[in-house]
Amino acid sequence: MIKISELQKVYRTEEVETIALNKLSFEVKEGEFVSVMGPSGCGKSTLLNILGLLDDPDGGSFLFNGTEVAHFNERKRADLRKRNIGFVFQSFNLIDELTVFENVELPLIYLGVKGPERKQRVEVVLDKMQIMHRRNHYPQQLSGGQQQRVAVARAVVNNPKLILADEPTGNLDSSNGNEVMQLLTDLNEQGTTIIMVTHSEHDSRYSHRIIRMLDGQTVTENILI
Amino acid sequence: MFKNYLKITFRNLAKYKFISFINIFGLTVGLTCCLLILTYILHETSYDRYNRQASRIWRVTRSWNNKEGIVSLRLGAIAPAFGPLLLNDFPDIQKMTRVLPNGTSPVRYEDKIFNEKNLYFADNNLFGVFDVNLIEGDRRNALADPFSIVMTRAVARRYFGDADPINKVVRLNNQANFKVTGIFDPLPSNSHFHPEILLSFATLNDSTIYGAKNLANSFSNNAFFTYVLLPENYPVHNMEAQFPAFLDRHMPPNQKDPTAKVSAGTRLYLQKLTDIHLRSHLDEELEDNGDITRVYIFGAIALFILLIACINYMNLSTARSTLRAKEIGIRKVSGAQRQEIVFQFLSESVLVSYISVLLAAALTWLSLPWINDITGLQLSIKSLLQPAVLIAVVLTPLVVGLLSGMYPALFLSSFQPQQVLKGLFKAGGSSISFRKALVVVQFAVSIILLISTAIVFQQLHYMETASLGFSKDHVLVMSYNNGLDKSYESFRTRLTHDPRILEVSRSSRIPSGRLLDESGASTESGDSLRPVTADIKFVSVDHDFVATYHIPIVAGRDYSRDYATDSTNFLLNIAAAKALGINDPAKLVGRNFGYGGAKGKVIGIMGDFNFESMHQQIVPLILTMPNSHDAGNSFNNISIRLSGNDVPGALAALEKTWKSYLPEVPFEYSFLDDKFDQLYRSEQKQGSLFTCFAGIAIFIACLGLLGLSAFSISQRVKEIGVRKVLGASTGSIVSLLSRDFLKLVAIAALIAFPVAWYTMHSWLGDFAYRISIQWWVFLLAGILAAVVALITISFQAIRAALANPVKSLRSE
Repeated sequence: MIKISELQKVYRTEEVETIALNKLSFEVKEGEFVSVMGPSGCGKSTLLNILGLLDDPDGGSFLFNGTEVAHFNERKRADLRKRNIGFVFQSFNLIDELTVFENVELPLIYLGVKGPERKQRVEVVLDKMQIMHRRNHYPQQLSGGQQQRVAVARAVVNNPKLILADEPTGNLDSSNGNEVMQLLTDLNEQGTTIIMVTHSEHDSRYSHRIIRMLDGQTVTENILI
Repeated sequence: MFKNYLKITFRNLAKYKFISFINIFGLTVGLTCCLLILTYILHETSYDRYNRQASRIWRVTRSWNNKEGIVSLRLGAIAPAFGPLLLNDFPDIQKMTRVLPNGTSPVRYEDKIFNEKNLYFADNNLFGVFDVNLIEGDRRNALADPFSIVMTRAVARRYFGDADPINKVVRLNNQANFKVTGIFDPLPSNSHFHPEILLSFATLNDSTIYGAKNLANSFSNNAFFTYVLLPENYPVHNMEAQFPAFLDRHMPPNQKDPTAKVSAGTRLYLQKLTDIHLRSHLDEELEDNGDITRVYIFGAIALFILLIACINYMNLSTARSTLRAKEIGIRKVSGAQRQEIVFQFLSESVLVSYISVLLAAALTWLSLPWINDITGLQLSIKSLLQPAVLIAVVLTPLVVGLLSGMYPALFLSSFQPQQVLKGLFKAGGSSISFRKALVVVQFAVSIILLISTAIVFQQLHYMETASLGFSKDHVLVMSYNNGLDKSYESFRTRLTHDPRILEVSRSSRIPSGRLLDESGASTESGDSLRPVTADIKFVSVDHDFVATYHIPIVAGRDYSRDYATDSTNFLLNIAAAKALGINDPAKLVGRNFGYGGAKGKVIGIMGDFNFESMHQQIVPLILTMPNSHDAGNSFNNISIRLSGNDVPGALAALEKTWKSYLPEVPFEYSFLDDKFDQLYRSEQKQGSLFTCFAGIAIFIACLGLLGLSAFSISQRVKEIGVRKVLGASTGSIVSLLSRDFLKLVAIAALIAFPVAWYTMHSWLGDFAYRISIQWWVFLLAGILAAVVALITISFQAIRAALANPVKSLRSE
């Protein structure tokens, strides 16, 4: 599903040049659950941004379902993103001014899904995430675990092929964290590809494979199953 | 999707109440100003358009050239002989109608006497040219018979109460009886003249009133306002081109120079009816006109204020960007394209501006009565209710919304989601400097308006207090009545016996009026008199005029009853002596001189004085004294100088004497200084409106500054906390926070100064006598703007500086 080769990303300020990704290459197959680990500053987030089509690489190749997307313009990237990719963040990133229902509904609005269908699909997802009873609440009225479930609901509502999770349990206690990991595992079992950046060895064990990074390069790949 | 945008817009407005209030309130105030100014502009440009034939009605005007061929006088009225001749010579003229203002005249019915001011003789076909609604009487012949009178309902009620006015007989000027033949609706406020009483033009044929012969042959009494009806889109220039030949054909040759063509000295023009109010500034008009320049100035002010309000919106929205950054990031991650984000923010700003325009419409409606009160205008919100204007009013918020929302929308939509969602986002340097530039523009505009206001008021003050070269205080003026012709000397003597009344005099014109009468002058050349080319205006006066007005005599003497020959002698002002090419005016005294038909000597030279308003240069002036048998026709005014002690007693005594001599004429007077004040009424109105708008502009700019400083200070809470922990005083923190903003005001002042100087320099150019622009006005305006800005900022800064640093540091 994803094949990157010789991927490069360099951040430049006036005086300093930081190499975030240094000719990084790996492949993720459809249906895989992959964890990316490594110390702070090793390039995990940069990698995730590029994989999520939020950022473009300075060099190398990025094949998404066989299509070279490394040099897509913003419009094409947004289009590909909204049809294929869901995001889960450490800090949930829900819009404070929208209710639970409206937050989850957002990707469907941008996909152009009509109102009644949107309602039905959001309800199905909310139900699955067991937060249906909170549908009219605002994010700040929910616990961290509930907020992250809303975020996961939002990530999956448009049935993406790929979910990118950036330390999804980083702001949660262990019991809420486990719930969220279970949700991701369930989604993976239903066929969704998941790439997760994490610091937690515990969480990484939910995945099939761990890619360990250092200074913008892969150091090891552990296959867990 | 749009529903989603609306939802988030309203929730954001509700969440950030302070910023929303500033945004909506600022825009509302700005739009209210625009709507008020729009109402004013619509009123000013609507003059005379209520006439269905407005586009076909033209007024015939006349100018005179001096020897150099330069127009020295241009009147809105022409002589009575022209009207019928034009109608006869130019078949394209479909109708011709004339009105002759009759000045102030007493009208009596039984025991009721009132001085009527808006009284006109009018041709019978006035109703066929102008839209005048005759409520009672027959349109075709209400003004056909001599001694017919039609009046407005209000006037009729004054004399007849609720009784039927038709066929009632009133007496005019204690001279002639008129029969009421009709009642008409007053002309709308946007008419260039407002008659309340119309007298039939046929009355003028009566030899005791004016005389048919005079009416048919006079080319010199240029008091008849003459209007012609032409076909639609008529090429008037072709007709105007034939006017010189027309004049040469009909007018008698110039007596002084019989060989010269008449058309070399005078010309006729056609002036569009709808141009009269704003574009006609002739030496004689029916009423005070407006001015197209003023319409442009206020239009520009409206745009400026709207600009300031739009800038507020841009500024605050962009400043608030960090608060919206996360939302934008999430939307982008959720699949929003950049143009969808742009659209979202544009729809937000358009929505805000529609909310504002609704509020502004309500505010306009509420404030119009007050505006009418201070400006003396009769503006109506109804003028906005016409299709073209409504479309503009409905589209304006769209444009304003797009304009003010475009920059924030483009700026916000450019956020990179991966940065904002990681919390790495900081408003970039370019956006900060753009916002600073916007604040500079706002304050520059405000400072320009402040300086303009100050200079307008300085000039007004100057005109009201400057020495006129004579004394206008305690001088009372009245209309002269011919009933006094025979008994004037005894009337005067009786008045001056009262110690509270110092002087009484008669004259053709009084100071504060215009100097428009002119005749040819001739000076001594050997044994004879030779005509000179100098333009010298004249005023007919009696012995006491110079003394009444305390006009200084710099050489020779004043008129005196001790000299029987003084009625053929002249007094000149210094400007007249200079116009005659004489540098030492005293040398003129005793020399033979001719003016008009009279020959005599120059007996004295007056110091120059401002007879007319300060708009006009002091012109060469000669005082002449008519023969005693001619006095009645020469004088229009009485001037009375009071001692200033017991003014009410003096007025009572004056009224008693007046009534004993003129029981038929109401006693009405005005004070000369009030008349001078009235000359500057339009500048006073301009001044008060300027103050109003400058205040509003500064207010809106400060609202923006308040919002912006609140925001920028909230961004620096941590810094303030750290500084306080390290020992910074409250004062030093307030000065730290204020310094940046004050710098912007200083830059704004530097931009505003030259612009304001240039603008006000050209404005002052309209005045013959004007103040010089003082540097300290600029400094003061700058300091005022800075102080207002400082107060605004300190409001926030002091609060931030007083906050407990522990809180701000803990919240990090």
